[in-house]
Amino acid sequence: MFRAVFRLSSTGARCLVRSKPSISAPLASRCYSHGQVETDEEFDARWVTYFSKPDIDAWELRKGMNTLIGYDLVPEAKIVDSALRACRRLNDMASAIRILEAVKDKAGPHKEIYPYLIQELQPTLSELGISTPEQLGMDKL
Amino acid sequence: MAHQAHAYHMVDPSPWPLTGAIAALLMTSGLAVWFHQHSMILMAIGTVLMLLTMYQWWRDIVREGTFQGHHTPPVQKGLRYGMILFITSEVFFFLGFFWAFYHASLAPTPELGGCWPPTGIFTLDPLEVPLLNTAVLLASGVTVTWAHHSMMGGDRKQAIQSLTMTIVLGFYFTVLQAMEYVDAPFTIGDGVYGATFFVATGFHGLHVMIGSIFLAVCLLRQIKHHFTSGHHFGFEAAAWYWHFVDVVWLFLYVSIYWWGS
Repeated sequence: MFRAVFRLSSTGARCLVRSKPSISAPLASRCYSHGQVETDEEFDARWVTYFSKPDIDAWELRKGMNTLIGYDLVPEAKIVDSALRACRRLNDMASAIRILEAVKDKAGPHKEIYPYLIQELQPTLSELGISTPEQLGMDKL
Repeated sequence: MAHQAHAYHMVDPSPWPLTGAIAALLMTSGLAVWFHQHSMILMAIGTVLMLLTMYQWWRDIVREGTFQGHHTPPVQKGLRYGMILFITSEVFFFLGFFWAFYHASLAPTPELGGCWPPTGIFTLDPLEVPLLNTAVLLASGVTVTWAHHSMMGGDRKQAIQSLTMTIVLGFYFTVLQAMEYVDAPFTIGDGVYGATFFVATGFHGLHVMIGSIFLAVCLLRQIKHHFTSGHHFGFEAAAWYWHFVDVVWLFLYVSIYWWGS
């Protein structure tokens, strides 16, 4: 879950601590009558593992992204990082950029989340040579 | 005819398997000729031969069963197995198209925008004609069951009425679906969405037409007093086929029309 934005990072802007949007509500606050409750850390770890599969194939990458984007949350930077590295293994630049567009869209009206994510991912973006949609001018319609 | 000391049916020699095989050959090679040499004559001959084969082969089966008494209980059991196995093979046929649909829609490619429905595709509203189609087919499942119970209870008039109603509903479905096809905002050529949509629903529509014809033949036979209250397997086979067609539609509706929108 995207609680990271609310931890005061040494480099992050402190003004990011705003009113808690529902997206950061931990799973435990849902009214399940029974069933396993997964912690945010377990969720993140599960998805990082999914995208870290060395021989992940293109279908699995796309399926994983579609499932992830279907959830009511913005994926943590570490999950997006793992997905971007999977794109690198699959030589899929198009999907890498699309992932950035998708997480920006998932943030919805919370416009501070996407720049923070890009900031967190910058080392990976530079390492893998991935341009952001903004750098390519693709964010304008 | 010599007496047989068993209950099985040793079928008399028949030319129809051969004419059917020749028809299949002419139809398929005719298709290739049509594609490459723009002549439909070979395909047309093949199709006519196939229709003649089907008519005469099945007419012979009716003669053997209804008029000559060859369809004893063990023979009928074999026919039941046969129909069940055939329908099972048809299930696998559709399974392939559902596989294609889910392969494409669970992991949409970047060319589609990474989303489903793909960018630029305006899907049909599942709560409009497709929902009506669902109601029509479900109703036809009720009427065909009504026809069966009428037949088993010896109620000739109601069997004819309910079987007729089933066929009318099947025809109504076909008309509605044809109108949907004409008015759809996308075509079979519109990427993998159009391809999976029209191939899956198209083959389903073909099966609705085949099932309707099968039921119509049963109606004709019912009117001509072929069926008894205890022996009417041709009708049962048609009813099984019709239920199969209905179930395939339910999967199509839920997967493509509803989830896929």
